[in-house]
Amino acid sequence: MNIMAVIQTHGLTKVYNQDQVPVHALRGVDLTIEKGEFTAIVGPSGSGKTTLLNIISGLDEPTEGKTIIRGTELNSLSDKELIDFRLNHIGFVFQSYNLIPVLTAVENVSFIMQMQGRSAEEYHKKSIELLKEVGLEDKIDKRPSELSGGQQQRVAVARALASKPDFVLADEPTANLDSVSTNELLDMMLELNEREEMTFVFSTHDQRVIDRARRVVTLVDGKIDSDEKR
Amino acid sequence: MVGNIIKLGWKNVWRNKTRSAVVIVSVVLGTWAGIFLSGLFVGLAQGYLDNHLKLSVPHIEISEPQFNDLYSPEYYIPASEAVISELQEITFIEKIEAESMTTGLVQSSRSSFGASIHGVQSDTTHVIEQYIVNGAMPGLSEERNPVLMGQKLAGRLNIEMGSRIVLSFQDTEGEITGGAFRVAGIFDTFSDPYDETNVFVMRDDLNRLLGLNNQIHDIKLTVDDISQAQNYADQLKKQFPDLSIQSWGEIAPELRMMFNLMDLTMYIVMIIVIIALVFSIINSMLMAVLERTRELGMLRAIGMNKSRVFSMIVWETLFLTVVGTPVGLLLSWSTVRYFEVYGINLTAFASAMNSYGFGTTIYPSLPPVYYLNITLLIAIAALLSSLYPAWKTLQLNPVEAIRKFN
Repeated sequence: MNIMAVIQTHGLTKVYNQDQVPVHALRGVDLTIEKGEFTAIVGPSGSGKTTLLNIISGLDEPTEGKTIIRGTELNSLSDKELIDFRLNHIGFVFQSYNLIPVLTAVENVSFIMQMQGRSAEEYHKKSIELLKEVGLEDKIDKRPSELSGGQQQRVAVARALASKPDFVLADEPTANLDSVSTNELLDMMLELNEREEMTFVFSTHDQRVIDRARRVVTLVDGKIDSDEKR
Repeated sequence: MVGNIIKLGWKNVWRNKTRSAVVIVSVVLGTWAGIFLSGLFVGLAQGYLDNHLKLSVPHIEISEPQFNDLYSPEYYIPASEAVISELQEITFIEKIEAESMTTGLVQSSRSSFGASIHGVQSDTTHVIEQYIVNGAMPGLSEERNPVLMGQKLAGRLNIEMGSRIVLSFQDTEGEITGGAFRVAGIFDTFSDPYDETNVFVMRDDLNRLLGLNNQIHDIKLTVDDISQAQNYADQLKKQFPDLSIQSWGEIAPELRMMFNLMDLTMYIVMIIVIIALVFSIINSMLMAVLERTRELGMLRAIGMNKSRVFSMIVWETLFLTVVGTPVGLLLSWSTVRYFEVYGINLTAFASAMNSYGFGTTIYPSLPPVYYLNITLLIAIAALLSSLYPAWKTLQLNPVEAIRKFN
């Protein structure tokens, strides 16, 4: 076992619609992502990026193969254990930010720590720290509707980091951002990656993200076509 | 975390202010309508009961056992003076009215109708006095053989004050007898059926024609607590085993049934209103859940467990109801209290109301305990209506809900 590995997949296969016309989304994916990597998973539509990330995050199950996160095999966890596992080990950043609209920036960040059962003092202090890290110390009491797309995505990154995850999964995080916001977000995430050794895994079509990724895994027809480390 | 889930539920209520306001207003109106309708019904039924218990149905009635079946005048109460003396010693009895009575025909020159003929004493008050619209009680008239009759009957007989009528009936020997009487008073109660079928004459005048002296057929008792009437009647039955003694519930079982059904009917009205409310709340909450599919999926994805998502939706639903219910309760309490004092005047429908024996002014009324019960009913309804939308939330597949990573 690779002790540095945060994510390991072995022979991941996913077949949809098995009883009728089978669709092979993944055809035996073996992938290892180590701590501190800044990885982009790329590929054309239908190549299996979505399915791979769903399975890595424990939101979907493989037809065959297994996923191991920090030594824990996801297939062995019950539904309830899986939810707790996601809460404590995986940070999520979504394409459409997906913040809770009725909560302020600081409350959005705090929310995940509240679910973890941390004390009010701790989550409040940590939320403000995280918002400072993503450059939003002057927006802590703003609701998502009062923030720009780039600012909302920064709050989403702060929220993803709040649970102290083993890695952050980001779904097309720059798809809805202009180039200025994209660059600012990437700068911030790269800085976190370098300073905190936080592991980031992206799915993306955005060439700007691909250009700055330190590792690019390309999927074609459900298989890894290339795996380039820079 | 529970506190934060509750706080989030509260904030979610105000996410779509218009929709929440519509639900809250419907809760307010539903609560108000349910309570006010219940109060109106209770007032109507209570008014009907009170009126009839004051006028036509005594709290307790005493007679010779066979008199009730045959209404034959020979079945008078034996030793009635001794009975009345004993009754006067009983503390729960507030009023005693004794009368001789028979049934017969009331004839004018134009037509005739059947009626109960009451022979009342001149020296005691009678409830009918308050409904006299013309003339006076027979005992106060200087006419010979005075009679007091209902306006409705007078109209049907086409007679007026001072007109002569003939009352015909059987005497104690079973012979047809009768006498000429002069109309000395007209009464008009809230009940057309009563007005058409009852006439009052002097007891001495009636007894003379019946072939009696000072005997009586009927003793009507008013007691201090009407809800105890049956218990009191049972006590009197032991005291006077040879007489027929009936409480108002035995004399007029339809009134007792109305009394018993009052609660049930009120709750049925309320439950119908609450069912409508439940569907309104479920509809709104389902819309709220469907609108937030993506967000709810995201919450599940990032680690919010099912019980927390479920309780968040339950709290949202409860808040919608909790905000509206106190306002509805206050509004309905104020409305019921106002009309309890000033009444709802339905004179415009007097003809229809009187023909069924209802008064023309309704005084809605609802005891405080009903407000508490209705609040509990609404709380249960709110909880029930939250379950389906919350359950629906649990059916969401986070992967499909957020359509992520692509």
